[in-house]
Amino acid sequence: MLVMEELRSVPVEGAMSAGQIERELARLRVNEDGIVGARASVLNLIVVTSEERAPRVTQTICELSGRYPSRVILVISDPDEEEANLEVGLSAFCRARGGGGRQVCAEQIMVHVEGPPADHLESLADPLLIPDLPVFLWYPNGELPHSPECGGMAAVADRLILDSGATPNCEAFLRSAANLLEDCVLAVGDLQWTALSPWRSLVADLFASPERAGALAKIRHAEVVHGSGGECQALLITGWLSNALGWRLESAKRMERGCLFRFASSSGEATVELAPNASAASLHRVRLVSENLAFQIQVSRHNEHTDARSTVMRGDKRISERTVHLGSSDVGVLLGEELKLLGRDETYESSLERVVKMLDLL
Amino acid sequence: MVDTQLPADVLRDETRLPKVPEPNAMVIFGASGDLTARKLVPALYDLAAGRRLPMEFAVVGVSRLRMSHDEFREKLRGTLRKYHPTAISDNVWESFSRNIFYLPGDFREAGTYWDLKSFLKRLDRERGTEGNRAFYLASSPSFVSTIVERLGEAGMNEGENGGWARLVVEKPFGWDLKSARDLNADIQRYFKERQIYRIDHYLGKETVQNIMALRFANSIFEPIWNRHYVDHVQITVAEDIGIGARGAFYEEAGAVRDIVQNHLMQVLCLTAMEPPVALEAESVREEKVKVLKAIRRFSEEEVGKFAARGQYARGWVWGEEVPGYREEEGVPPDSTTETYAALELFVDNWRWAGVPFYVRTGKRLPKRATEIAIQFKPTPHTLFAGAENRGLESNVLVVRIQPEEGVSMRIGAKVPGAGFRVRSVSMDLLYGTAFLEEVPEAYQRLLLDLMLGDPTLFIRADETEGAWEILDPVLRAWAESEGVSLYPAGSWGPEQAEKLLKRDGWEWRRP
Repeated sequence: MLVMEELRSVPVEGAMSAGQIERELARLRVNEDGIVGARASVLNLIVVTSEERAPRVTQTICELSGRYPSRVILVISDPDEEEANLEVGLSAFCRARGGGGRQVCAEQIMVHVEGPPADHLESLADPLLIPDLPVFLWYPNGELPHSPECGGMAAVADRLILDSGATPNCEAFLRSAANLLEDCVLAVGDLQWTALSPWRSLVADLFASPERAGALAKIRHAEVVHGSGGECQALLITGWLSNALGWRLESAKRMERGCLFRFASSSGEATVELAPNASAASLHRVRLVSENLAFQIQVSRHNEHTDARSTVMRGDKRISERTVHLGSSDVGVLLGEELKLLGRDETYESSLERVVKMLDLL
Repeated sequence: MVDTQLPADVLRDETRLPKVPEPNAMVIFGASGDLTARKLVPALYDLAAGRRLPMEFAVVGVSRLRMSHDEFREKLRGTLRKYHPTAISDNVWESFSRNIFYLPGDFREAGTYWDLKSFLKRLDRERGTEGNRAFYLASSPSFVSTIVERLGEAGMNEGENGGWARLVVEKPFGWDLKSARDLNADIQRYFKERQIYRIDHYLGKETVQNIMALRFANSIFEPIWNRHYVDHVQITVAEDIGIGARGAFYEEAGAVRDIVQNHLMQVLCLTAMEPPVALEAESVREEKVKVLKAIRRFSEEEVGKFAARGQYARGWVWGEEVPGYREEEGVPPDSTTETYAALELFVDNWRWAGVPFYVRTGKRLPKRATEIAIQFKPTPHTLFAGAENRGLESNVLVVRIQPEEGVSMRIGAKVPGAGFRVRSVSMDLLYGTAFLEEVPEAYQRLLLDLMLGDPTLFIRADETEGAWEILDPVLRAWAESEGVSLYPAGSWGPEQAEKLLKRDGWEWRRP
């Protein structure tokens, strides 16, 4: 179906009240024929970012608005400026489906805040939220909420979404994310965890056959190969796997390249090796080896990273193999997936908690 | 160390990871046909690519044509390229097609089924399909009873070694009440009702499922969803297209068999049914059957009063002159087959007593539209009577199923300014636009439900028979009467259909 898209924006000068902003937004939805376009909103999305990253974030949000029409409040926060300053920009992203389809608009309110007000973002975001809809708070590009703003924003948001993939220090980031779970008292998600869903699903599929289900309790070794930006994913999938299989963490050590974790399971010892390689892919391969090499089970990226290949080996013999789509790792797609969830993701939280314990032993 | 066994789903024990069916083999009878090429294989490919199929999965095509496995795969690859809306991945196809097989055979011969049985056992051993089988009857309806009988005789009505066997039957579910009963009896001789999945792809559409979401996830509607507040209900399934190349089929079917008996009756059931105890197969089907039982039967003599039929004549649709039905390929020039049907039905139960349900369907109407319109009663006392308020009408809640899924509500609102003029305003909610996500094809959803063993969106035997019981007198009366009213293509149907509502003081909505 043909979809017509149009970005409308209005230049705003000076301070505006929340009421004025609402009126201007309604005006933006007015079509050429004078009819006000419908507003379809399924959620509020507050994005906190910096000035230089704002254009890229806006692009992601525009792409996303087709699937999750929202009221987006884009907060460009600069608390280090001494002087308080507040600027507002409004835009509407309108889409009409072909064949006389009615136009529906999603809205974006950009708030550029400098100085002391940047420590009280909730006072700006709260009056602009559409009532009765869930509120997601997204810190893109590896950013994390600072302590004062986190407390305030937690009061208005239902869910906090982070992205550990864009951080230069994965370990520190994951520790901070785990702290946020306690400090902010709100549900937390991580786009890198979202990106692991296809991997986790494929690994689970490999044990769906009754023939191999028994091997789950007898996994002795796992190898997680990741690219330079995939350390957090590798740690999180290790945390998930070891938790799900009921392994107890015994020790951890850094190797010349990567690290090695030792666990105790109900049937013996298991090790997980995190092995960085030169691959551009965040996660490149997950390989599980059961006792006495009865099964070697592997999920790996294939075909320039768009597909995944699952392979099952019994001894030296390949007994099963298939190729499927791995899904997109585009930030907009991952964010869209994360916006489907309301409430806590307990599997993520327990995996993250396990990761912190693993890091503590390193 | 204690050697313990972990549950097989220990890695999938959460909501974020979707359910994946158990290993199984899907056998498609009529594998060289149109349905397999256009719908089944594209849906299975998408499920495979999207990681929704088990690793141990196989497709076995059965049909009379002689073909090797590779020839069958090549044929499917060609049709997939033709019918799949987006580009297909060579790698995914290579992987998926390695598990596609073909067995040539005559559906009537027992040998075909013994060969199939032995082949499926081989797949269990070599491909790990675990004795689970889904038999999809995509063949001509005339073969259904024969295939079921032969499957039963070969012992394939049960899975191997404790596995499951399920049977998928496509509509039409018979041609009248007797044939539907005969067909159900033929199938149930070998398969238990819980193994039978009667598929009406309409129920696989997200939009149809949304009727239940609207009714049962929103408490504001339920208190007014009854005879105290509803004056009448109009359900429309309108198509702007003609019958195309389906002349021979349509001559046998007509609008009642093609649309009313299945799609329209299902939509009516979802609209009128009581809230099910749970969103699971038996609870939902039980409530639908109660509606069908409550629908007032009319005799052949009453058909003229409660039903109207028509056939499209030459006319104009969307700026194009189109031929009449009798000019279509495969249609005799004196055909009396209805391309339009309208009925006034009554659901005689506590909730709906006295509320007419007007249902209609037709081809070559001005536009494609499917909707349910709940027309509410007027306010008990009109404060705003008078010429100034002529534009004020009673409330209508419209659930649009296609093309633009959504809900609209007609309410009265004051016109700004001096005085107290009140006019009707349409408030639109396009929930189809609120979620612009790619909606999976109906067949994807239904095939997945089949493999997961969830029959909620499939039709039970008593649903098909209940619908036929209501419609049988109509078909008999129309078969015996001469002549059918013509309506110009591009109009909203024959005059008789208008009269159905006019005598009650209403008219059909313009969707």
